[in-house]
Amino acid sequence: MLRFALRRLASLLPLLLLVSFGFFAMLRLGRGDPALDYLRLAQIPPTDAALALARAELGLDRAIPAQYLAWLAEALRGNLGESWFTRRPVLEEITHYLPATLQLAGTAMLVTIAFGVPLGLWAALHRDRWPDHLTRAIAFLGVSLPNFWLGFLFVLVFAVTLGWLPAIGRDGFASIILPALATATMSACVMLRLVRASVLGVLGEPHLRFARARGLPRRTLIGRHVMLNALLPPLTAIGLHLGELMGGAMVVESVFGWPGLGRYALLAIANRDYPVLQGFVLAMTTIFVLCNLVVDIAYAWLDPRIRLEGAA
Amino acid sequence: MLRRRLLQALPALAAPTAGSVQAQAQAQAQAQAQAGRRRLTFSWPSNAGPLHPHLYSPNQMYAQSMLYEPLVRYVEGGGIAPALATAWALEPDGRSWRFALRPGVRFADGTAFDAAAVVANIEAVLRNRPRHAWLALVERIEGVEALDPSTVRLRLKGGYYPTLLELALPRPLRFASPAALRPDGSLAAPIGTGPWMLAETIRGQHDLFRRNPHHWGPKPALEEVLVRVVGDSNARALALEAGEIDLTYGTDQLDGDTFRRFAADRRFTTAISPPIGTRLLAVNASRFPTEELAVRQAIAQGIDRAALVKHVLLDTEPAAETLFAENFPYTGLGLRAPGFDRPAAIARLEAAGWRLPAGGRIRQRDGKALALDLCFTGSDALQKALAEAIQGDLARIGIDGKLIGEDAGTYDGRQRSGEFGMIFGDSWGAPYDPHAFMGSMRAPAHADYQAQRGLPMKEEIDRRITGVLASTEEAVRAAEYRWLLTTLHEQAVYFPVSFLTNKVVHRRELGKVPFGATQTEIPFALIGQG
Repeated sequence: MLRFALRRLASLLPLLLLVSFGFFAMLRLGRGDPALDYLRLAQIPPTDAALALARAELGLDRAIPAQYLAWLAEALRGNLGESWFTRRPVLEEITHYLPATLQLAGTAMLVTIAFGVPLGLWAALHRDRWPDHLTRAIAFLGVSLPNFWLGFLFVLVFAVTLGWLPAIGRDGFASIILPALATATMSACVMLRLVRASVLGVLGEPHLRFARARGLPRRTLIGRHVMLNALLPPLTAIGLHLGELMGGAMVVESVFGWPGLGRYALLAIANRDYPVLQGFVLAMTTIFVLCNLVVDIAYAWLDPRIRLEGAA
Repeated sequence: MLRRRLLQALPALAAPTAGSVQAQAQAQAQAQAQAGRRRLTFSWPSNAGPLHPHLYSPNQMYAQSMLYEPLVRYVEGGGIAPALATAWALEPDGRSWRFALRPGVRFADGTAFDAAAVVANIEAVLRNRPRHAWLALVERIEGVEALDPSTVRLRLKGGYYPTLLELALPRPLRFASPAALRPDGSLAAPIGTGPWMLAETIRGQHDLFRRNPHHWGPKPALEEVLVRVVGDSNARALALEAGEIDLTYGTDQLDGDTFRRFAADRRFTTAISPPIGTRLLAVNASRFPTEELAVRQAIAQGIDRAALVKHVLLDTEPAAETLFAENFPYTGLGLRAPGFDRPAAIARLEAAGWRLPAGGRIRQRDGKALALDLCFTGSDALQKALAEAIQGDLARIGIDGKLIGEDAGTYDGRQRSGEFGMIFGDSWGAPYDPHAFMGSMRAPAHADYQAQRGLPMKEEIDRRITGVLASTEEAVRAAEYRWLLTTLHEQAVYFPVSFLTNKVVHRRELGKVPFGATQTEIPFALIGQG
């Protein structure tokens, strides 16, 4: 298992290099002049002299590979540069805003599982009856509604009209309920359908008929023989969901004034704050890959065939 | 059984949660009222920044103005009133100003505000002169000296009439406590003489300002101002409606539609300020086809300004017929834009030889189509809506307006290089208009310079702008401004859309919320008084 984890971790490095260079080149090769963006954000008039000075200071007068190598050398020392807007170190800003995003995405993941798994099971156990039809309708609605729209709707109903929950901010448990629900809805609905399909697949297998014939109680039958087997495909999807939830949180954070990395990145996109964008992509790639690694390990732990294949 | 018990318990569980937010807010308000404390909650798209009085981004100007005060302050219409200086005079040499400082003023840390503090701050600004190159006054200051503890002299290299106006700007010529100002110009802590002091900053969440106990002026009715970080205008509107913020204030804190909705809601008070700047398009006189005066004049006549204001801006800003509103100095000239007259615009183009080809909708002359690039910032929904409406009006007179929506960086590049037919922009607003905005027309990095470059009298325009800024005679200055503004008006090198206004929305119980004299200063100290 350890070798398996180490091998996956080792594959992270080339991936990070590839992503960081690709994104670096994309930013520099796109339209616009980074020096002009830098001066705009610093509120310095873009005279010819100021532009020349900015290009020299930022190293923009060098070839893109040389610029990338300089950035990489600093990044390896833990220096991702300084935000052109806030004038603070990017790494320090990312570590400041990341916990709020992880908290939101993590809570949304819990909601996804808490909502998607039981409802998916309920739908499968009542196939083609009203619970199945009802959950299908919920899932259809849930995946169709954009999360920012849902966020505004939640605020309108639960904060403005009913006054039950706060509309904005990150201040205690109550403040995370609406953003987490808005972030989780789509993933939860996808999870619901996935669990339903997976459970239905297991229900038709011969070992279950045999277990039933042995007279096992229904609770044991579902808990040990159905769910344990049916959870493998949804578990794989969790890794993908986490990326989706982190991405979803970006938009939702703006709707709820949630002080997370997503809102920070959106501001950086609007400002064309290159160092922040570069650092953000690096951080998100790392998180995404690490999450998938955790899922893979969990998968291997749950299903010995994966471990054994890896060992062979 | 378990399920039934849970269902029975739900209302009991929900009740404290349901009522908790409103109950908490009410309890908090009650507690504050009992303690005689009043807190206003406001919102802003970003944190206030480190709040250095002499520096720019990420320092937010509204917050710098809360902490730091100028020697003199700007009042609507271009007047100057006392602030940290109670009296001032231009010395006989015509280039030095003498200021008598207000007695008894202290910084928030208790340090006395005196001539030495003024000198220390202005010298810190001068040591960083290249950073302030955009501001003519900084470039013109030769030195500053303390004549006695309550008198300072500001020596300029030559006459410069907007000296007092530029001393009133929110930055950089304001004053931090000498105890906090380090020799290298950096700041140990943001401490000024203003009515507020920064009590707390939580990055990404809020800034808390508390009343400055040492402030020399009238005591603000509010004790605290909490500024929450909210970037999205819809989120801001909903937070206002939910009672989580008390006030929105600014040119674009809410969109027109939302503002109208609040105006119709009895729980809220809304107000629109007098003009504080101009929303306009520069029409490029140095590029085909707008290099031709007849085309520029046809554009001025062919766009329905009143419809733009009514249907796109939803009457939240008055229509602008001139480059500057008449409540700015030297701008009350009685100029009027040509009325919207589509047939007249068409006739003008026809007379200039621009004809519609058989079956075509875009005019041509000598095989060239009458087309121009209509540039806007892609992420600015309002500019986009205005651009689309203008494109429709242009099409009706046979001009092909090609919409180009780009990110702010690329857009800035176009302004600098002059690669545009028409491009959106705002004037700089009070107290920069008209003098500083017109001063920038001489700089090639500005869209105004690029747009005017093709005018036959551009050299004279630049020369006269330089002259008017140095002129010491009021009558000469007024005459020069008349010539400059009339020439730009007649040359149709700008299409003014509307005058920018500050829009205020707040709950009725907040009391009176006055407008600041400038675009960036929010008069928190006057809220709820009188």
